[in-house]
Amino acid sequence: MHIDWAALGVVAVVSIVSSVIFTILLATGIRLVSVAKIKSNEGGSGVAIFSAAYLLLGIAGLLVLFGIYLIVPQFH
Amino acid sequence: MGIDVTELFVVITVIAVALIFDFTNGFHDSANAMAGPVATGALKPRTAVILGAFLNLVGACLSTEVAKTISGGFFDDSLITVPIILAGLVGAIVWNLMTWLFGLPSSSSHALFGGLIGAVVVGAGIASVHGWVIVSKVLLPAIVAPLVAGMAAAWGTRLAYRITRKTPSVHSNTGFKYGQAFTASMVALAHGTSDGQKTMGVITLVLIAANLQASGTGPQLWVIIAAGIAIGLGTYSGGWRIMRTMGKGIVEIETPQGAASGAATSATILASAHLGFGLSTTHVSTGSILGSGVGRGAKVRWRLASRMVFAWLLTLPGAGLVGGLAALLADQGVFGVIALTVLLAGACVVIYVMSRRHKITHANVTDSHEVLVLAAATPPTTYADDPRLEAPPTGKPKKVKRPKAKSAA
Repeated sequence: MHIDWAALGVVAVVSIVSSVIFTILLATGIRLVSVAKIKSNEGGSGVAIFSAAYLLLGIAGLLVLFGIYLIVPQFH
Repeated sequence: MGIDVTELFVVITVIAVALIFDFTNGFHDSANAMAGPVATGALKPRTAVILGAFLNLVGACLSTEVAKTISGGFFDDSLITVPIILAGLVGAIVWNLMTWLFGLPSSSSHALFGGLIGAVVVGAGIASVHGWVIVSKVLLPAIVAPLVAGMAAAWGTRLAYRITRKTPSVHSNTGFKYGQAFTASMVALAHGTSDGQKTMGVITLVLIAANLQASGTGPQLWVIIAAGIAIGLGTYSGGWRIMRTMGKGIVEIETPQGAASGAATSATILASAHLGFGLSTTHVSTGSILGSGVGRGAKVRWRLASRMVFAWLLTLPGAGLVGGLAALLADQGVFGVIALTVLLAGACVVIYVMSRRHKITHANVTDSHEVLVLAAATPPTTYADDPRLEAPPTGKPKKVKRPKAKSAA
C-alpha cells in the first residue's frame, strides 16, 4: 500500500485553514461595511471603518488572485 | 498517408465518442461550481451556466500540457489500445448518464477509470489491475474528500454566521453573494484545466496510436479547441438534475453558508491539486455543501447523502461493468465498433427519454429538492413538483397564495 499520509495531512490542514481564513476575512469585511454604512447614515463618519473593511476584503481578493495564479499553468 | 479507411473510421468514431464523454463530463460537473450560487440566487441559473461554460472553455484552452498517461496507475500503460479506449469511454458515458438520470453527483474521472479498467480486465484478465491503487486512489479519497471539505465548510459556516450575527441581512447577503460568485468561478476554471485535459489526452493518444501524430508531441490546436468547446457546451447544458440534488437536495443553502462552502470547495480543490493528494472535484464540492449544512445546524438529508456515497463507490465497478461488456464488442473489428456506437446511441436516447418524465430545467431547478425517476409515473403531489400545476392566475394576484405542499391526490 502506497498511501501518502503526509500529503493527505498537508492537504487537509491547508484546505481547512485557508478556507476558514478566507471566510473570516469576507465575513468581517461584510460586517464592517455594514457598520460603516449604518454609521454614515446616522450622520457619523464611517471612513475609518470603511477603510478597515475594504482592507480585509482586499486581502480576501488577493487570496482569490492567488487561487487564479495556482490554477493557470502559464503563471508558474 | 499509410492509413486505411476502416482504421480511419475507427479513429474518427473514438474521437467523436471522446468528445461526447467530454460533454457528459461538463454537464455532470456543472453543479460542482454552480449549484451553490444557483441555490442562493447569487447567480441566476442561466448566468451561472454561461459563466461556468466560458470558464471551463478558457480553462481547457489554458491547460495544454499533455496528460501523458490515462491509465492513472490502475494498470500497465502498454495495455491501452484503441478498442480499450473506446470501450472505457462508453462505460464512462453510460455511467455518467445513469447517475445524471438519478440526479446523483459522481466523479467523471472515476467513471473513465472504471470503464478503462473494465475493458482491460476483459482484454487482459483481472490480474493486470493493481488493486491497491483502487484503494488509495478511489476508496480513500472518497472518504477523505467529504471529511476535509466538510470540516472546512462547517467551521467556515459557523464563523460566518457568528461574525455577521448582528449584521442586517440586506447588507450581508450582497457581500456573501459576491464571495460565492468568485469562488464558484474559480472552481469552474480549475475544472476546465483539469478535466478538459483528460479528453485531450485521450484523443492525442488515439491519434498517436493510429500514426496520425508523432509520438511524444502535445495535443494539436483543433483537439484543444474541440475538447474545450465540448466541455463548455456540457457545462452550459447545466445537468440540472444534479444541480437540484446539490443545491436543494442535500440541504437548504443560505447565502453565508453558500459563501463558506464555496470557499471550502475552491481551497480544497486547489490544495489537493498542488500538494499531491488528488481528490475528486465532485466529492469535494458535495462534502462542502454537506459540511456547511452541519455548520449551520440545518436539517441535512442524510439518506440522500449516503445514497450519494454509495453511488461514488459503485462508480468504478459500475462503469467497469459497462466498459467490460463494451470491450467484448469493441474487439470485434470495425463491425463491433459500429454495433457498439449504435448501442451507445440507443442507451443515450433511452436515458434521455426517461429523464423527460420528470423534466428538470433552468426554470424549475430550485423549485423542489427531489429528482424523481421511477416515481415520476405517479402524479406530482405538490405544485412545486410540476410547473404545469401552477395555480392559474386570478383577478387579484396580490391575494393569491401559492400553496407549498398541498396534496393534489
